[in-house]
Amino acid sequence: MKKIFLILLVLSVTFSSCEKDDICDAATETTPKLIIEFYDILNPTVLKKVTNLAVKEVGSTSVINFNSESEIQLPLKTNEDITKYSLILNSTDVTIDNEDFLQFNYTRQNIFVSRACGYKTIFTLDPTTPYIKTETSTPDGYWIRNITVETSNITTENETHIKIYF
Amino acid sequence: MKRTSKFTFSIALILLSFLVNAQQKKTDSIPPKIERFGIRFGADLFKLTRSFYDKNYKGIEFVGDYRLTKNYYLAAELGNENKTTEDDRLNTSAKGTYIKVGFDYNSYENWLDMRNMVSIGLRYGASTFSQQLNSYKLYNTSTYFPETPTVVSGEKFNGLSAQWLEVVVGMKAEVLDNIYVGFSVRMNRMLSNTKPENFDNLYIPGFNRTYNGDFGVGLNYTVSYFLPLYKTKSSPIKVDKKK
Repeated sequence: MKKIFLILLVLSVTFSSCEKDDICDAATETTPKLIIEFYDILNPTVLKKVTNLAVKEVGSTSVINFNSESEIQLPLKTNEDITKYSLILNSTDVTIDNEDFLQFNYTRQNIFVSRACGYKTIFTLDPTTPYIKTETSTPDGYWIRNITVETSNITTENETHIKIYF
Repeated sequence: MKRTSKFTFSIALILLSFLVNAQQKKTDSIPPKIERFGIRFGADLFKLTRSFYDKNYKGIEFVGDYRLTKNYYLAAELGNENKTTEDDRLNTSAKGTYIKVGFDYNSYENWLDMRNMVSIGLRYGASTFSQQLNSYKLYNTSTYFPETPTVVSGEKFNGLSAQWLEVVVGMKAEVLDNIYVGFSVRMNRMLSNTKPENFDNLYIPGFNRTYNGDFGVGLNYTVSYFLPLYKTKSSPIKVDKKK
């Protein structure tokens, strides 16, 4: 009996040290957002900060605002293979604001994370037309001068995927 | 007068103690204890009843053991399970067959002709099974877009297998002649398992739910029948009284 008691004790101790695995840890790598960095078109190695950049999905009313930042993160749709954004520079001033449309084309893959988190989506930008840049119906010239794709595999938020020069 | 009464009293006491001694000697000859050896087989009632009340579970387990020596029993379980797990973010089904082989050590010293067990044992378990991913949710910390509705998958993962070790603590009591009721709890430790691609073994038949990928617990509640094959007589162990 003593022996059994001892074994039960040891086992219960090993048990209590078990981590709970049914709560999704906030630090878990999740569905990555698209990481965009802004550079100076005149000096392409130097980061340039955007002023009052308003970003929203075309057709949506909820706006994400960025000001004096050189890196922004944009979510991609996980139930469609395209996401079209409207990017308005100097959005607070109607006299100098400039709206460009950027449509991202990609394929999706759902990757198993864990029991608690379920799956996440990773994206691969389309190799031929990763993005389509368009103007508004009343042309005001592009504020986005050039775009380069750094990596078409969007699997993590730890790297830059797109560089925009303006 | 007082003195004589004291004297006779003490004499009587001494005589009485002899008498007691003599009586003890008489009853000292315990008949030899009969140890029965044989096969015991039964089924797990817990899994059987759960199949009735839990719509997501169907399972059956047969148990058996064979008495090798006075305290050691060769023991095995054979079972089949089909379980659907509805987690927050995943809905999965696992089904398959398993076998567990090992031994039980009976640490219970039975009185007279009792034949009960309080045992500790070890099992090697192996399972072949398949999994089906019914549906899942996508984890996304961005709330800009509304959450993607639950993705219905239905993908099947066949030909999976797992091997593990089990520590069993249990008891069996003879409730009627040769009919035993038993209960056991088990701690499982995974040795190896083939993981499905882009998924994980969240439930393994026989092993149950996996904790941290390699830890599991189980229990069973059995009713079994003992089939005696042969008997041995063991005379009581002689104890040196001087010790």
